[in-house]
Amino acid sequence: MAAMLQPQIILLKEGTDTSQGKAQVVSNINACTAVADAVRTTLGPRGMDKLIHDDKGNTTISNDGATIMKLLDIVHPAAKILVDIAKSQDSEVGDGTTTVVLLAGEFLKEAKPFIEDGVHSQNLIRSYRIASYLAIDKIKELAVSIEGKSLEEKKTLLAKCAATTLSSKLIGGEKEFFASMVVDAVMAIGSDDRLNLIGIKKVPGGNMRDSFLVNGVAFKKTFSYAGFEQQPKKFLNPKILLLNIELELKSEKENAEIRLSDPLQYQSIVDAEWNIIYNKLDKCVQSGAKIVLSRLAIGDLATQYFADRDIFCAGRVMEEDLQRVAAATGGTVQTSVNNIIDEVLGSCKVFEERQVGNERFNIFSGCPSGQTATIVLRGGADQFIEEAERSLHDAIMIVRRALKNSTVVAGGGAIDMEISRYLRQHARAIAGKSQLFINSYAKALEVIPRQLCDNAGFDATDILNKLRQKHASGQGANYGVDINTGGIADSFANFVWEPAVVKINAMNAATEAACLILSVDETVKNPKSESAQGEAAANAMAGRGRGAAFRGRGGRGMRRR
Amino acid sequence: MALAFDEYGRPFIILKEQEQKSRLRGLEAQKANISAGKAVARILRTSLGPKGMDKMLQSPDGDVTITNDGATILEQMDVDNQIAKLMVELSRSQDYEIGDGTTGVVVMAGALLEQAEKLLERGIHPIRIAEGYEMASRIAVEHLEHISQKFEFTVGNIEPLVQTCMTTLSSKIVNRCKRMLAEIAVKAVLAVADLERKDVNLDLIKVEGKVGGKLEDTELVYGITVDKDMSHPQMPKRIEDAKIAILTCPFEPPKPKTKHKVDIDTVEKFQTLRQQERKYFDDMVQKCKDVGATLVICQWGFDDEANHLLMHRNLPAVRWVGGVELELIAIATGARIVPRFQELTPEKLGRAGLVREKSFGTTKDRMLYIEQCANSRAVTVFIRGGNKMMIEETKRSLHDALCVARNLIRNNSIVYGGGSAEISCSIAVEAAADKYPGVEQYAIRSFAEALDSIPMALAENSGLQPINTLTAVKSQQIKENNPYCGIDCNDVGTNNMQQQNVFETLIGKQQQILLATQVVKMILKIDDVIAPSDY
Repeated sequence: MAAMLQPQIILLKEGTDTSQGKAQVVSNINACTAVADAVRTTLGPRGMDKLIHDDKGNTTISNDGATIMKLLDIVHPAAKILVDIAKSQDSEVGDGTTTVVLLAGEFLKEAKPFIEDGVHSQNLIRSYRIASYLAIDKIKELAVSIEGKSLEEKKTLLAKCAATTLSSKLIGGEKEFFASMVVDAVMAIGSDDRLNLIGIKKVPGGNMRDSFLVNGVAFKKTFSYAGFEQQPKKFLNPKILLLNIELELKSEKENAEIRLSDPLQYQSIVDAEWNIIYNKLDKCVQSGAKIVLSRLAIGDLATQYFADRDIFCAGRVMEEDLQRVAAATGGTVQTSVNNIIDEVLGSCKVFEERQVGNERFNIFSGCPSGQTATIVLRGGADQFIEEAERSLHDAIMIVRRALKNSTVVAGGGAIDMEISRYLRQHARAIAGKSQLFINSYAKALEVIPRQLCDNAGFDATDILNKLRQKHASGQGANYGVDINTGGIADSFANFVWEPAVVKINAMNAATEAACLILSVDETVKNPKSESAQGEAAANAMAGRGRGAAFRGRGGRGMRRR
Repeated sequence: MALAFDEYGRPFIILKEQEQKSRLRGLEAQKANISAGKAVARILRTSLGPKGMDKMLQSPDGDVTITNDGATILEQMDVDNQIAKLMVELSRSQDYEIGDGTTGVVVMAGALLEQAEKLLERGIHPIRIAEGYEMASRIAVEHLEHISQKFEFTVGNIEPLVQTCMTTLSSKIVNRCKRMLAEIAVKAVLAVADLERKDVNLDLIKVEGKVGGKLEDTELVYGITVDKDMSHPQMPKRIEDAKIAILTCPFEPPKPKTKHKVDIDTVEKFQTLRQQERKYFDDMVQKCKDVGATLVICQWGFDDEANHLLMHRNLPAVRWVGGVELELIAIATGARIVPRFQELTPEKLGRAGLVREKSFGTTKDRMLYIEQCANSRAVTVFIRGGNKMMIEETKRSLHDALCVARNLIRNNSIVYGGGSAEISCSIAVEAAADKYPGVEQYAIRSFAEALDSIPMALAENSGLQPINTLTAVKSQQIKENNPYCGIDCNDVGTNNMQQQNVFETLIGKQQQILLATQVVKMILKIDDVIAPSDY
């Protein structure tokens, strides 16, 4: 306690919160474990959902790790890293976001006793890195390629992957239905990397089985003017003109002013304006297009003009929808109506306006280039559809990933158990501390099957022991938790498949995050800047402010003692 | 929110404003959610069926709504609880998709939740319950298909359609005139239906209401009614074989859209301008006259000068007609909407056999009827009633009936009402339950029990002994192997719904079961509720 007598040297600004040393590492680990606990129960087909509502009254019901992490609004600096890895997993592979958080949490938990015993974090970090390399190599080795299969075969295989992802979601009851839909959609856009070519439209009402896939584009009827109902609503093989201009009677130039000295000229100005718009409309008609879409408004005059000539029009089409129509029908968006040649016109087999639930939808199907797909989702409640969309997003990502690096591994915790076994085996051959650390890494991997059992209400220890035995016997590499019977089963034979890339990425990201958190031994928290404080006050959260201040004082006081 | 503490006993601040957040987890969360859902269902339970009661709802600004329509009640209740909101959306989506059965779906979901609570107390995993429910719902939906009947109708024979609509209307306040309203609904739907594509655009049916008269005065107008009168009181009130010009430009000199300025520096110029203007008016009226129009309907107004001129030239006109009405008139009369006078041609005129102005009661209210149109693809239902609330409720009831008729045109399968379909499903699900091994069997059995709650509520609301009645009907169904036995709510004397002519649409029933299951699954799956603890 020599420090007690020393005068305090003030290095940092008043109000800065610092904490350091071993205690800080442990404290960070605790925080991360607390966060991992929050998403723990969402893992697997028997995972539960979270209902989160914010102070604005928006409600989200979700099972998706990344979504939950994002909505939890975490402020703890170390725990924030977990949010980031969930996000990166989401953007990189789209699925396995819960897994990654859980793994990182578990790695840290395993590391905690070592840190408390005085092991240097760098030792741990090095061993963890080695373990992760080994694990990833093993995954690659175990992965089964689906390359070289026929298209039909591939489709069913991909559907299996999608079904595994979907099984943990709210729409799990209809996973086969949605899995094949997702596969069809992904196949439709081909190898093109633009994910926005798959549109997902949400229509409340109906049940999820009423969801359907349009091999083309579908969007909600846009706002229409009088005369719209007189237009034909169904075309076969129509030509489609896509525009990005306003078709409305309006002043051509904003600031122009016309001065008339002779009242008789009045009519000519009026006529001139009418002629401009009529010329435009006439050119649209001349082009031979039967459907005119524009991103900007199509006014009542134009609507009636087109109605008179049996042409369908829709104005204020959403930008992304228009892009999709362009991609699907092979047309290009025009910014002028001059010189419309046949090449810029799109076409499709059938265009129809159809009632979907309470809305009317414009549906373009049978498109020649076929590079788009639209999934129209139906469901009983808004939150339900929102969650269904997130789940489908995951499934789409998985299928695309699997299509690209077409290797899969067995799910249901099988791959995790096998790697765990492999690492334990490997560890025995190492002399030194590293043996312990790699062993603990191996143990941490078991969290996945354990959590699967816990969530399903099975006896985790019992099943885990069965699995360990099976994997140790050398023939059970594909054995995982059987969620239906509460025993173990060959996941691979049961078609519980995950793309290898999901696991690899999860393993990588979780290890990275764990290492990062372990390597931090000091946090310096600057006092909130003036503006942020003002904001906090505006948020009427005096409690939090006081809490922080108290904490700051307490911390300093302690050191002084 | 549970706090984590570090070695020094300092709490972690992991979440933003974490002291302000409340968190419920595990079984506790499920229980709380279930009781919220049940509470909503309990409110609606008494509204079910022909003897169901109405609810009176007062909105914040004092408007009173009296209704028996599940979706409307929930919408106006303005619930705050998140789970209760899910129930509201459940009934709303039934409303969007089917239009009818909005009360039944909520009661069903409530019953399922109630059963789930019992199972949870026994320690069954919530997802297993949900999965069991899902299996059961599939059995029930298949069974419905099995007991459903197709019935044929043609444009000439609308009786079956009318009967079905009557079933829907019988639970409403308007059941006094259900026969008449059902006929109106069916005729209206048939008038706008595209039987080939099985598509019905309900936008083409306009439902108008006006306070006064009695419900029996409600009528179906094969044409359009517009809540406007002739622009000049001296114009003729009745025009036969009208040729209608529909204009979207005002009766005034056209204005360029670009900013403009007319320089007038001499008296002569002013005179010419004046003359020009007058000439415009003159030309416009003349133009209309020339193409042979006998009625002008204008989207915009026209000033007194034009009005006078029109009157003078004996050309009746209506002004300030809204865009939607304008469109409907155009469709009904086969007219083309004309954006400027230069484009008026005889072909663009619409035709109507009779246009008349009708005044109501002692008030000065007048409405314009456009009837016997060239193309009767647009129709109007004109509702009369003693007070505003009554008219609003009639509108809602009629909406339900229209939706039912539309659904039948889409899919002409029906099941029998009066709870008979539910009882039959319940028997089928119960029988199927034994075939499933595992915990799900319990859930499936509970589903069967939940299905019984609808006939039970029907019996209760009708003042019958619920358990006695239900058991009697159930045993009768099994004994006679007749899935058409239901609750005899109206004391007709027979509980064979086939004889009572109580029908419901198959898709409506299926939708109810599927939607209720879906939402219950969603509620059961939540085990963690994180909320700002303000409320």
